[in-house]
Amino acid sequence: MNHRFLVLLSGLVVPAAVTWLSTMPVAGQARSVGATTSGSSAKAYTAPRTPDGQPDLQGIWTNATYTPLERSKDVTKEFYTREEALEVAKRAAAQEAEQTEPGTVPDVHYDFTQFGLDRSQGAMASNLRTSLIVDPPDGRLPPLSAEGQRRAAERAAARKSRGGPHDAVQNEPLGARCILMDRNGPPMLAGAYNNTYQIMQAPGYVMILTEMLHDVRIIPLDGRPHLPPNVRQWTGSYRGHWEGQTLVVETTNLTDKFAFQGSSENMRLTERFTRVAEDTIRYQFTVEDPSTWTRPWSAEVPWKKDSGPIFEHACHEGNYGLYNTLVGARAEEKRAAEEAAKKKSPK
Amino acid sequence: MRMRRAVVGVGIGLLLAAAPVIAHHAFSAEFDINKPFKLRGTLTKWEMINPHSWFHFDVKDETGTVVTWMIEGGSPNQLIKQGVTKHTLAVGTEMVIEGYQAKDGTNKGVGRDLVLADGRRLFLGGEANSSDKKPGGK
Repeated sequence: MNHRFLVLLSGLVVPAAVTWLSTMPVAGQARSVGATTSGSSAKAYTAPRTPDGQPDLQGIWTNATYTPLERSKDVTKEFYTREEALEVAKRAAAQEAEQTEPGTVPDVHYDFTQFGLDRSQGAMASNLRTSLIVDPPDGRLPPLSAEGQRRAAERAAARKSRGGPHDAVQNEPLGARCILMDRNGPPMLAGAYNNTYQIMQAPGYVMILTEMLHDVRIIPLDGRPHLPPNVRQWTGSYRGHWEGQTLVVETTNLTDKFAFQGSSENMRLTERFTRVAEDTIRYQFTVEDPSTWTRPWSAEVPWKKDSGPIFEHACHEGNYGLYNTLVGARAEEKRAAEEAAKKKSPK
Repeated sequence: MRMRRAVVGVGIGLLLAAAPVIAHHAFSAEFDINKPFKLRGTLTKWEMINPHSWFHFDVKDETGTVVTWMIEGGSPNQLIKQGVTKHTLAVGTEMVIEGYQAKDGTNKGVGRDLVLADGRRLFLGGEANSSDKKPGGK
């Protein structure tokens, strides 16, 4: 057995699992009320207030989880038992810490565990759910609408017409260009690492700093209208208001350059942040986008208190990888052209 | 060292595509799978920068000439949270680095494995806060 795995399992994963089990009452409570999207479990806890009277969401939080967005097709229930969930988490942690096979494409990578980047080495916000999607009830994305299918085909064709993935910097994925990642959203979902957020509140505003890409959403609460429809932004136009203990954030004005799970620029997102315990925010979101899906869908993700500081993820500053990738692609093209020329005119 | 572990089925259903290695870019596009290397180097600088950290090593080539290699590693954010600083790994630390060289053929590579002179794999993560904190080792 892999020695490093043993170290991880004995030294890190198990303590993480113990912490993780201690978080269960919150998830269990959600389970007992059945639906999870209701505010029932929030009634047990009243968040402290900021000086200007807002429910206090401030602090550093993480949404790191092994729970997948969509439920696996061979899982039919909404929640695992604690034992099952623990087993699932252990397996996921082991899988993430697994070493790659030399000479394979996944092996061309640094080792996550050497840098503390596998999730089990950091704070986790685990839960008993088998998927983050809570509606539709099967825990899976709804089918694409007819327009959604057409748009998906058009996007694929457009990608193809732009040439290879490394032909131009514009062809590189948004993440590789340090523009946007899934942690930034919206909606904000965990990736493999750097899943930390800081919330600060001021009179009339809530600010959410996302660790990954060091991106900030400053959400006005004064009821101002959204940006004009012709103004489109990577993370949209977002406006917030309080409904009791819950911060509700509506986001529109997105761009079709960013496709969340294949969404369109018409996506309308409603996020709900409710502090359900001293150390837990329940983050829920609903996606409405008839241009993509046949029906709206919703997900729920716990955020757990984490420690700071958050180091600035100044992605552009150190993104040597983008340069190396493009230079590498040009070097390969040059080699290929030279070989082709040699074949044409052998001496 | 690279033994693979048999995953024992537990009948819970194959959950989780745990998405083991999600980086912010495709490393196989930056580095050449056909150019694996194994180098012995002396650390001269560790850039704890994002999106990925870079180690600088002095490496003696086959003629004895010292050349500089840059080795790409992981985002430092989680390490910084755990108290690791750029001084945690002392300049002058000797390491054996296995990895894959940049596609443009320059002295850059991804550090697939960083092993200390005494044979321990570099492990900067979970034990960073332990009382007997040492640079690397697990």
